[in-house]
Amino acid sequence: MTEANGAAGAPLAGGRVLPRVIKGKRSQFFDDPTMDQMMTFFMELMTEVMVLRDRQDTLERMLEEKGGISRAELRDLIPPPEVEAERAADRAAFVERVLRLHEPVGEPAPRHDA
Amino acid sequence: MATNTVPDIDSLLVPTHDEFARQRAVAAIHTHAMLRLRFDCRTAYERNVKPAFEREHGRAPETGAEIAEAIKGDPFYQFYSSIRYNAQEMGPLARQPAVERALPAMIEIAKSAAQSNAAGGSLRLDPDLVVPDYMTEYDVHLAAGSYHSEFVDDDVAQGVLLGRGLSPIAGKGRITKNRNFAGVGQSIAHWLKAKYPAFAPRRMLDMATQSGANLTAYPKAFPGLEAHGIDVAAPGLRYGHAKAEFEDVAIHFSQQDAAHTDFPDGHFDLVVSSFFLHEVPVPVTHQILKEAYRLLAPGGLLVFMELPPHKACDAFMNFAYDWDTEHNNEPFYRDYRSQDPTELVVAAGFPRDSALELTIPDITSFDMDRYPAFLKGEIEAPPHGRGGWFIFGARKPG
Ligand SMILES: C[S@@+](CC[C@H](N)C(=O)[O-])C[C@H]1O[C@@H](n2cnc3c(N)ncnc32)[C@H](O)[C@@H]1O
Repeated sequence: MTEANGAAGAPLAGGRVLPRVIKGKRSQFFDDPTMDQMMTFFMELMTEVMVLRDRQDTLERMLEEKGGISRAELRDLIPPPEVEAERAADRAAFVERVLRLHEPVGEPAPRHDA
Repeated sequence: MATNTVPDIDSLLVPTHDEFARQRAVAAIHTHAMLRLRFDCRTAYERNVKPAFEREHGRAPETGAEIAEAIKGDPFYQFYSSIRYNAQEMGPLARQPAVERALPAMIEIAKSAAQSNAAGGSLRLDPDLVVPDYMTEYDVHLAAGSYHSEFVDDDVAQGVLLGRGLSPIAGKGRITKNRNFAGVGQSIAHWLKAKYPAFAPRRMLDMATQSGANLTAYPKAFPGLEAHGIDVAAPGLRYGHAKAEFEDVAIHFSQQDAAHTDFPDGHFDLVVSSFFLHEVPVPVTHQILKEAYRLLAPGGLLVFMELPPHKACDAFMNFAYDWDTEHNNEPFYRDYRSQDPTELVVAAGFPRDSALELTIPDITSFDMDRYPAFLKGEIEAPPHGRGGWFIFGARKPG
């Protein structure tokens, strides 16, 4: 069984075959739907800033360790666990700073993830 | 493993530097929404929404549904929801390119695994199976293509994409330490052995196994156990079969609807499932449990991991859980949780006094020195989804 929007039986060269659009009604959270769209732009942009932060960190490490960079190496480089652990902490702090919501304010919210 | 020639299908998933970074970034936002904003929402609720509701109605909201309605206009809630929704949507989008690149080679591995069955498992697909409407009408969990869609011949893509929660493709990193979706099978198997030392199942079934992530733990825990997994979606079965064969675990996967399978009566000593019933309409839940009853041998056990029911949570927690009903394309979520698990198993034919409902520790994060105290009832397991898993079940008279 193959869905209509796919290339059933077509030779597969690793191209784009999967759908990017979701079936079903998209949720609207704000009174004005343009605000929902703006949030998507913003979340995508926020994600790309995090990607750039990782890239910058990778570049710095390459320069420090090897004195030079290789673009091919950079393209495929997956960080070793200890580097990834540092970045995970950096990302959490980044998300916390950027998503600084006005409410709730006052006493710090209880942490439930302990 | 000398005879095992099935390569590791997962090793083909190689994201680029930036794809990996993107997957992690999206997971970081999602984690922030789930572990921080979702609970901060309680503060916004207590401070703003609840007092306003009380002024209007002369009482506090009593159900999650009432809170969901009352909180809609609250800006904090709107931002929390929007952030969570976008992060959920971006998860599959961030993973798709690497899956697409690997797809042709992954399909080849899955095909050869299905021929060699090197570990002794099997894969039985049914091209005529009718995928239920509730799966084809919308994409569950905001993942385009859902579980069942196939875009190329012998497709495994949706199985790979959805078999991993939000965790990135490469690396072993999980979202958080205590939310290991593949820890459910291990945790139930461990609990079964501790709780029922005399229970020695010969044959078991995992209903809606997807790719068997929570199934392989059982034959590992009970040597000699013949393990079967069914699902209506083929991509996950193909992918799961290749993974199991690579891991040298014999699993028999077949494409079947859990509401009516082709296994004979009394075929299994154990029927399990995880993350399943909240995704199907309540009438189908009844059919599935009746089918499980039919399939169990006398003395056989039913153990389903699921969301905790409404009765086990306060109104705010019910609101927080049931968000998915409207916003994660899981329309049966609230209705499912409004059911009483004990009544569900009784309606399926199980004796009331055999019904069980409890939260067990996730053994991949629990301090196992404390397990005996948990078994004796001296301490409770961590809450569901945060180091524990809610399970319910029953035993067929025998
Ligand atoms: C969240 S996934 C299950 C995850 C899996 N049990 C695990 O623990 O990793 C839900 C699965 O239910 C399957 N499903 C939905 N309705 C079904 C039915 N009537 N019979 C069998 N499988 C079904 C879907 O195809 C999907 O794979």
